Amino acid sequence: MESGRIARFSKRYKTMKFLNHIEEWLIAWLMAIATLIIFIAVVHRYASGIPMLQDYAIAINMSWAQELCIYLFVWMAKFGAAYGVRTGIHVGVDVLINRLSARNRALFVYFGLFAGALFTGVVGFLGAKLVLGIYETGQVSADLELPMWLVYLAIPLGSFLMCFRFLQVARNFHRSGELPRYQVAHVEGLEVEKA
Amino acid sequence: MSAYIIFGLLIAFMLTGMPISIALGLTVLAFLFGLSDIPIETVALKLFTGIEKFEIMAIPFFILAGNFLTHGGVARRMIRFATSMVGHWHGGLGLAGVLACALFAAVSGSSPATVVAIGSILLPAMVKQGFPKSFGAGIITTSGTLGILIPPSIVMVIYAVSTNTSVGKLFMAGVIPGIVLATLLGVTTWYRARKYGYPRLARATWRERLVALRDSFWGLLLIVVVIGGIYSGMFTPTEAAAMSAVYAFIVAVFVYKDLTLKQVPKVLLDSASLSAMLLYIITNAVLFSFLMTYENIPQAMAQWLLDMGLGAMGFLLMVNLLLLLAGNVMEPSSIVLILAPILFPVAMQLGIDPIHFGILIVVNMEVGMCHPPVGLNLYVASGITKMGITELTVAVWPWLLTMLVFLVVVTYWPPLSLWLPRQLGMM
Repeated sequence: MESGRIARFSKRYKTMKFLNHIEEWLIAWLMAIATLIIFIAVVHRYASGIPMLQDYAIAINMSWAQELCIYLFVWMAKFGAAYGVRTGIHVGVDVLINRLSARNRALFVYFGLFAGALFTGVVGFLGAKLVLGIYETGQVSADLELPMWLVYLAIPLGSFLMCFRFLQVARNFHRSGELPRYQVAHVEGLEVEKA
Repeated sequence: MSAYIIFGLLIAFMLTGMPISIALGLTVLAFLFGLSDIPIETVALKLFTGIEKFEIMAIPFFILAGNFLTHGGVARRMIRFATSMVGHWHGGLGLAGVLACALFAAVSGSSPATVVAIGSILLPAMVKQGFPKSFGAGIITTSGTLGILIPPSIVMVIYAVSTNTSVGKLFMAGVIPGIVLATLLGVTTWYRARKYGYPRLARATWRERLVALRDSFWGLLLIVVVIGGIYSGMFTPTEAAAMSAVYAFIVAVFVYKDLTLKQVPKVLLDSASLSAMLLYIITNAVLFSFLMTYENIPQAMAQWLLDMGLGAMGFLLMVNLLLLLAGNVMEPSSIVLILAPILFPVAMQLGIDPIHFGILIVVNMEVGMCHPPVGLNLYVASGITKMGITELTVAVWPWLLTMLVFLVVVTYWPPLSLWLPRQLGMM
């Protein structure tokens, strides 16, 4: 029975690691791709002005770059916000509650985390409704002609993931009494000085 | 009436310590479900379209560019350059610290990171030379804030987005106040160092200066790419941001070799997560200001403030006090997002220039970051210097006082910010 529990636990652990990994991988790539696209679009615009490259440049249409960049960043923002809950980057005004006793502070911490879960959960449901509504209209985006429901899908997915992360942080807080803490000013390459 | 409820809810939620974005969102939800006749459906779309503007996308790009260059290696180059230029004057390393902070902060875009990077390298060297620790701590804490005034500045982009002003004009308007504030902090350092007889360095030769400049040149060129690119009309601000991100990547990985290609995903992830946090606040702040506009709150508040007969002078004083107060409990981006939509309409009615108003808000944010009891830079500086907040507050006061005087000048003398963009024919 004990080994069964461990097996179950390790399976859950693996799924969780996989989810974490996908989340990090997705937002890092979205960031990189969006940057490259705008870079290429600008280079392309100037290449169109050079007589030698003009013919090739005009043959490629880059007018969709801005739109795609926005959509990539919307996806990055929604999933990045969920990742941020896990790393504790979403800070609030904590001067007041930090003066309370540990027990009272914990109450407020729980309140904050459940409020986060509630809000993101509600937004997730509203988002899902919106996506369904848009799906029925068959609306597509202006330049890329992407189905809009696919673009907006980031909202319910990201929000539900965020909701899940809030609950996860609350559970970890319940178990260990610790919250993830974001290092506001971490700088690489300073180690030499300390040695 | 609804204004009281909305702000009451928001403040109550914020004081529980929940994330600011969540506090904004929950306030809107609570109001909509309980007290308003706005159909949820019309709001639903607003909830999602808040960040679908190309202008906003400058924020992630600038964060990425800054993160590529937020590295100990870049900090060391800036310090070396600054030391070779001003190290022989009164104040020596301290004066160099002001200049290095200004340069590094402009490139990295983060005040707390500047305090850590420059502070960890410079402070031990200063103590070794015989400077009191508090002198160095005061310099680093205050000069670290210069980054949000010298372009590229994320806080300015946020102000521009939430008030529909031009990012290019704001950037240009920040240049002279940035240089003046850096100079004033330098003068404060120089004066105190002369008074107490702190050590100076030997004058560097022009050859040494040239070598140091060549070394830090690539980092500094980022500022030129951004300002020059926007001013000449080569890029829109968002494009300039993306170009500077690519440029910073090339400099960090191939020119300076501070980063290996293997470390790049980590930089991408960190930048994405910081951007996502800001974009999430922006989404919810857009929703919040939609609710306020729907309830006619900014107009009502504007009328109320105008009826008080404050005039431009009184209003600006009130704005300064309010922002300094807010600066103690929140970070700059959130303050601008929440307060700019409320204060901006009043400022317009009183005939205050939108660009000037933006610059004065940014300077306010700078002061707020090193203002006791809870300025962010104070906390970060306290971490690296191992000094208590009270002790640091005492250490910081000569420079903080300088900043406050500067704030008054910026507030009541608009040409300081508006002269350059006007000369350049931008406005």
